[in-house]
Amino acid sequence: MRSQRTSLIAIFVILIFLLGVALINSNSLGDFGITLLSGLFQGMLLFLVAAGMSIVFGLMDVLNMAQGSYFMVGAYVAFDVQHTGGLIDLTNIIPDPNFRFVVAVLAAVLVGAAFGYVLERFLLRSLYSRPIFQLVLTFGVSLVALELVKFIWTTTPYSWTELFGVRESFFELFGQRFSTYRLFVVGMGIALIVAIGLLLQRSRIGIIIRAGVEDREMVQALGIHVRSVFTLVFTLGCAIAAFGGAVAAPFLGASTTLGSGFLLQAIAVVVLGGMGSYAGTAVGSVLVGLAIAVAQDTAIGTSFAALPSITPMLLLVLVLLVRPSGLFGNSR
Amino acid sequence: MIQKQNSPIQRGWLRRNALPLLLFAFLVLFPFIVGAITDSSPYGVVRGDRMIMRGESVRWQSVLIEAYILIILAMSYNLLFGFTGVISFGHALFFGTSGYVLGLMLEYTAIDTTLALFVGAALGIVLCGVLALVIGFVTLRLKGVYFAIFTLAVAEMFYIFFSRWQLTRAEDGFAITELPAWLDPSQSRINFYYLSLAAVILTFVFIRRLVNSPSGAVFKAIRENEDRAQSMGYNTLNYKLLSIMFAGMLAGVAGLLQVILNKKVGPELLGVSYTVDPLLMTIIGGIGTFTGPVIGAGGLHFLDVFLRDAQINLGGVVIDIANIWALLLGVIFILAVIVFPFGIVGTWQRWQARRHRHPEKPLPDAAAGQD
Repeated sequence: MRSQRTSLIAIFVILIFLLGVALINSNSLGDFGITLLSGLFQGMLLFLVAAGMSIVFGLMDVLNMAQGSYFMVGAYVAFDVQHTGGLIDLTNIIPDPNFRFVVAVLAAVLVGAAFGYVLERFLLRSLYSRPIFQLVLTFGVSLVALELVKFIWTTTPYSWTELFGVRESFFELFGQRFSTYRLFVVGMGIALIVAIGLLLQRSRIGIIIRAGVEDREMVQALGIHVRSVFTLVFTLGCAIAAFGGAVAAPFLGASTTLGSGFLLQAIAVVVLGGMGSYAGTAVGSVLVGLAIAVAQDTAIGTSFAALPSITPMLLLVLVLLVRPSGLFGNSR
Repeated sequence: MIQKQNSPIQRGWLRRNALPLLLFAFLVLFPFIVGAITDSSPYGVVRGDRMIMRGESVRWQSVLIEAYILIILAMSYNLLFGFTGVISFGHALFFGTSGYVLGLMLEYTAIDTTLALFVGAALGIVLCGVLALVIGFVTLRLKGVYFAIFTLAVAEMFYIFFSRWQLTRAEDGFAITELPAWLDPSQSRINFYYLSLAAVILTFVFIRRLVNSPSGAVFKAIRENEDRAQSMGYNTLNYKLLSIMFAGMLAGVAGLLQVILNKKVGPELLGVSYTVDPLLMTIIGGIGTFTGPVIGAGGLHFLDVFLRDAQINLGGVVIDIANIWALLLGVIFILAVIVFPFGIVGTWQRWQARRHRHPEKPLPDAAAGQD
């Protein structure tokens, strides 16, 4: 209980610090709101990548270094489906861009799930007796995913050009225009946090997963086929990451740097929150997202343009120095 | 040892080491052999009062120097991953850091060029050692995965930092213009060739001595089962730190050579490819073996050189190998991890061991799992 209290105090202090810096940087309440919204947006995207990573690590002791690649692949698939040209051209079949976006996101999720299933079922499963090689393997898969994307879609980054309803609408508050789409993604992220939390807490499969995080062998001894639970969780984690890439694409576009960038940020989140802790991942992603948004604000107009990209790594280094088990992690 | 006294292999040091000695002699004479075959001078072509690096012999020297650099990098990676069981995803960090230190020393300080070279090289290697110790000290008491993550994060941080830093000309990097003439690969490449060759051999001998020393035995014990090594009274943290420090410093040596060869310093030195390449080369060659990284690095480099201009014709679609080289490497990487975990040398050794059936000598189990 004591360590939980220090964690809460730490979260509180970091939040106050970040919000304070954001307030100092902003000229008006509207500016502050924009920083806050963009931080939450970043945080939700991070959560989508980190959630699968954290649960998979807790359950299977595998850190999936390819999780960022699923995000990237999701972004590319969604982009490809939405726009004319490319591999799949749906503009004639589904003329309505809003509906096409829904299809694009679904396609990304399906591709992510399929690749996740293949990775766990056919590659990782043969390596459970050699854990260090699982890490190496997922690292190799991330390279292959990157090269495949380069091969299929070339290295030129795409920026989202197709307009659709919610992406283009704005609402006004405190004299500032806010993008409805960002709010929409933040809302969806919060809904997902709650949904996955409920799944873990209330459902039968959630109980099995939580028990598996505590003691894998015991669960198996109770007659539950843990391996198929592994496959399910891994596939779900990859699908969620691909979903994150798809909903991020209208803002971030599709580029080859998405994978490694989001991988490192997600790792920062997972370590900050405590490896394998779901609540920690949710809190950690909001904190890291806010930190990145505040750093972006601070870096504008200064010569230190690298600050926003270094921030998650700096956070990671700091956390590892001070509290390596993370905010909600149990020290092992 | 357990081998029989009348075994022909036991007769004399010269005979026992015939193959490495022959290889050594071949590599020493290599510039002259290629020169004689292709009728080109190993020193380059005289043009006015200076030498121009042109001709087959000089070109092949640089191909070999590139291979030597990769071999040193792979051997240093193997010391960490293969012999100590510690995995790093940021080996490029050490490679690039020493390169930048040397470059900054040569180009951005006013001291005499030769002095700057030695000070820069020494400083670069020492800094790599210190960096490795700091990273190790922070993460090594935790699970193995933390070290991998941490090296990846720090390498990425350095990469981003140096690709944005205006002083070192950001992403373009800067060229090395001041090098002592005796070392400059664009004036006297053969000198640099022999320096790199010496560096490879010294690294090989050093790692062999280290791994065969009592400390090396503890490294291997950590790889096999760290808890057991600890319960036998060894402070495993110190030994892991030692291994990481040497691996970082040796990777730094490779980085120095790379900077001198290309006469350019840029953020690509810190890029992920200098982490992936040694990892892949070590796995292909055979982790936890002495010759594995040498064969893996040399072999992959020569494949790269020979296949760079090749093409595949797939049902009318012509694909340049150069475009899909990284993809091919990645696929080989995955296949090697799953179906070929002992690498070329490891598989050979196991096959030999099985053929001779030494019951006292257990199979080299480099790929055993470690938490």
